[in-house]
This record gives sequence, C-alpha cells and structure tokens, in this order.
Amino acid sequence: MHFAAHLWMPFLDFVFMRRALIGGLVLACSTAPLGVFLILRRMSLIGDAVAHGILPGAALGFWFAGLSLPALTIGGLGAGLSMAGLSAWITRRTGLREDASLAAIYPISLAAGVLILGIAGKRLDLLHLLFGSALAVDETTLTGMLWVSSFSLLAMALIYKPLLLDTLDPLFLQTVSRLGPLAHGLFLTLVVLNLVIGFQAIGALMVVGLMMLPAIASRFWSRRLPVLIAISAVLGCLSVWLGLLLSFYYSLPSGPAIVLVAGGGYLLSVVFGPVHGLLRRPPLLTSQ
Amino acid sequence: MITCTALRWGAPGQPLTPPIDFTLEKGSLTGVIGPNGCGKSSLLKVIAGLQKPLAGKVVVDVSRRGGLAFLPQQQQLDRQFPINLQELVAAGFWGARLSAAQRSERLQAVLEDWCLSGLELRPLMALSGGQLQRALLARMSLADSPVLLLDEPHAALDEEGQALCWNHIHAWHAEGRTVVVVCHDLASVRHHTQQVLQIKSNGCVFGSSKELIRAQPQMQVA
Repeated sequence: MHFAAHLWMPFLDFVFMRRALIGGLVLACSTAPLGVFLILRRMSLIGDAVAHGILPGAALGFWFAGLSLPALTIGGLGAGLSMAGLSAWITRRTGLREDASLAAIYPISLAAGVLILGIAGKRLDLLHLLFGSALAVDETTLTGMLWVSSFSLLAMALIYKPLLLDTLDPLFLQTVSRLGPLAHGLFLTLVVLNLVIGFQAIGALMVVGLMMLPAIASRFWSRRLPVLIAISAVLGCLSVWLGLLLSFYYSLPSGPAIVLVAGGGYLLSVVFGPVHGLLRRPPLLTSQ
Repeated sequence: MITCTALRWGAPGQPLTPPIDFTLEKGSLTGVIGPNGCGKSSLLKVIAGLQKPLAGKVVVDVSRRGGLAFLPQQQQLDRQFPINLQELVAAGFWGARLSAAQRSERLQAVLEDWCLSGLELRPLMALSGGQLQRALLARMSLADSPVLLLDEPHAALDEEGQALCWNHIHAWHAEGRTVVVVCHDLASVRHHTQQVLQIKSNGCVFGSSKELIRAQPQMQVA
C-alpha cells in the first residue's frame, strides 16, 4: 500500500478511529487558546491541579450513576471548579503563593479521588480516568466534545479582548470596564469544562498535556498572540493525528501516544524554534 | 472635581496617614509629593477606585469607567507579553465609537505626538523603558478622560521625553481636564504645577507648590 494511504486508512476503515480523531482535533483546537492564555497568566500549573481536582468529582459521579456521561461531567465540573475556586480563594485571602496553593490542592484531590474509587469497589479503573482511552470515544462523548469545543471557541472569541487586557494590564482594564472579573471567571470555567470533557477521551492527566504542550511549544515560533494560538492549535492537531496513528500501528495506549508526540513537538521547538530557540543566537532585543 | 473626606488608606490595619481631607477642583493640575513608601501610588489607586480606602470616602464627579484614566508604574507590565506597541496603544480606544479609518488616523496622530512613529510593530520586549512609558502615555491620550491620574509619568524618560510629557500635561490641563501627577522631581513639580499635595506620615499638606516646596528645600534630596 502506498505510504500516504497509511496516514488515512485507519480513519477511513474504523469508526472508533474516526471518532477518536475528530474528538481529538476539536479538543486540540479549543484547548489551544486556553493553554496560551494560561501561560500568559502564569497559571500553567492550574491545568494539572484542576485535572487532579476533577478526579474525586468524577469518581463520585461514577459511584452514584455508573459510567454515564452527564454524571461524570457534572461531578468532574463541580469538583474541578471548586478546586480551582478554593485555591484562588485561599491565595486571595491569605496571600499564599498561587503555585503553592495549587500544589497543596492537587494531592488532596488525587488522594480523595483514589479513596472514593477504593470505597466504590474499583469498578472504574483509575488508570482509565487518569490516562483515558481515545479509542473508546463513543457517539455521546463525541457529541459532548463537539458542543464543548464550539462553545469554548465562541466564548473565547467573545472575551478575547477583555481577557487579553486583564492578563496584560488588569489595572487599565479596571479603569475602563467591568468585564475583567467576568472574563477571568468564564476563562477558568472553560478550562475546567475542556479538561472535564477531555478526560473522558484521553484521560485527566493526558488532556493537560494536550492543552499545555502545544501552547508552550508555540512560544518558540512567534511573538504575536493570534499566531501563537494558531500554531498551538496546529501542533495540537498534528499530535492527535500522529499519536493516534502510532497507537494504531504499534498497539500503544492512545492518550500517552498523543501527549508524547506533543512532547516531541515541544522539544523540537525548544531546539529549532526561531524565537529564543537553542539553535538561534540570543535575540537582539532591539531588532524588529 | 475630586473630593476626599476623612480619607485613610494603606494596607488593612496599617493606615499610612491620619485621616485627610482635600478637594481637587475640576480642571486643576496637582502634584503629589512625598518620600518613598508614603502612599502616593496607593492614593492614586484609591482615587481611581482600584483600591478600597480604609476609612472615609472619595467622591469623583465623573464615571468610574472611562471617566478616569490611570497611568500605573510600568514595572507592573509583563514585557514578554506577545503583542506589539501599536496593539498596546490601541487598547486606549476601549469603548470609543469610531470607524476603522478614524481609529487608524487617530492612532497615527497620537503615535506621532509621543515620538513613537516607526515603532508600531515592535514587540513589547524590544522596547526601551522610555519607549514603553511613552506608549502607555499615548494609550492614555486616546481615552479622552476628563480626569487623569499619573503615577510617576516621567520615570524612565530622558530629558526630551520628560519635556514632552510635561508639554502634554500642560495641554491636558489647558483643555480643562483634571490632572494629578505623582512625581519625585521636586524642582519640576514646583515649576510645572500650581498646587501640591504633600504626603507625610503625620498628616498631609495641601497648598501652593511654590510655597510648599520652597519652604522645605531639604526635601529636594528625598
């Protein structure tokens, strides 16, 4: 068979591969702007904290309702939002550094999740929750992913300008508009929503990789925000596609395959990227 | 007009001064002076509504959104942020109802006013401190706010830049806007403003700049 055909064949021949691909691609597109803004806001670690935070909620949802999409989603969303909210609240009230407060929240969440799963009788595999299985994306999950991605892309387009200013110069935004806290809150909700819908496809920890790795890698390719977001989406889509192919041909677990391809993209960017990459000379700060 | 009544501000439980009262008339130009850490920047934030006073109140007779423009100290900006000078300045159009052509024309004029022409596409990281400061001042010029609060607008500016900045401050003053400037250069404050608010830990003095600054020449080394 022609080599190029190998790149498409699995997706044409198998419905589960097609679903995994479409789900992964929409997720890569909707998490791209989120990852880029998380980095700009110096909140790169919150993805990890929320992903762990989702676990006890999803486990509770599973305990009460079994393996149902709405139960897992509502549980995960509730737990993820309360973990992110609790950490933000502690930071604001006590002045504890943001990263320390996140680092404190996520072992608590992880332990609580594992504990609940233990009590529930291990019917839901912890490994499945953490690392997922893209190849098990069913029709309902795929529909959910399409809805979440469309909603989050649309919402990001609407809050793009206030969110940008709130990130760069919150005091300025506060003097001209009240939209800052709203944009911030909606943004965090979108992060949690994407992680929750993603964890069912590629696992709670792996979806963080898909969100952050392309976004961090894109920083080595451009200095313009819209370009960063576009590059991040393209890198994410490439990782999903190549990762699924690798997983198909070499029988690898799909989530880690996708994230490792994204990781490879990140390492290549660090070396070859034109913006401060290792192979570039130190940037002339006054050059255009 | 900005009226402060029995105002105390600072960190919770640690007011910086005894309660103070003062009124800045509409269209006035006021310098705010005092040693480091006396609360000048916080006072501007309290007036701008960005920080809550500990006690007392501040009444400003313009809208809190858009009516007040606040120039913060620039170290609060993330220089690695991936936007260029033009995009930073254009944020000053927030809420303005202008066509694309009007915006572009206005933007070019303002950039020229602040000697920034030719730097439009430079990323923030590649701007010097003075260029960034002028960009922030240019952004403020776009907003047309009736009240302008400037926190050390001359920081990082060279001699020419400082003169340019004072020229604009005088132009804003001449247009009838209320301008409040925090500045450490007492000689300039004395020369350029009529009234001064001097903040001290034992109270504040409000009066003519000529009298207040001449009365305490030792302050000039602060």
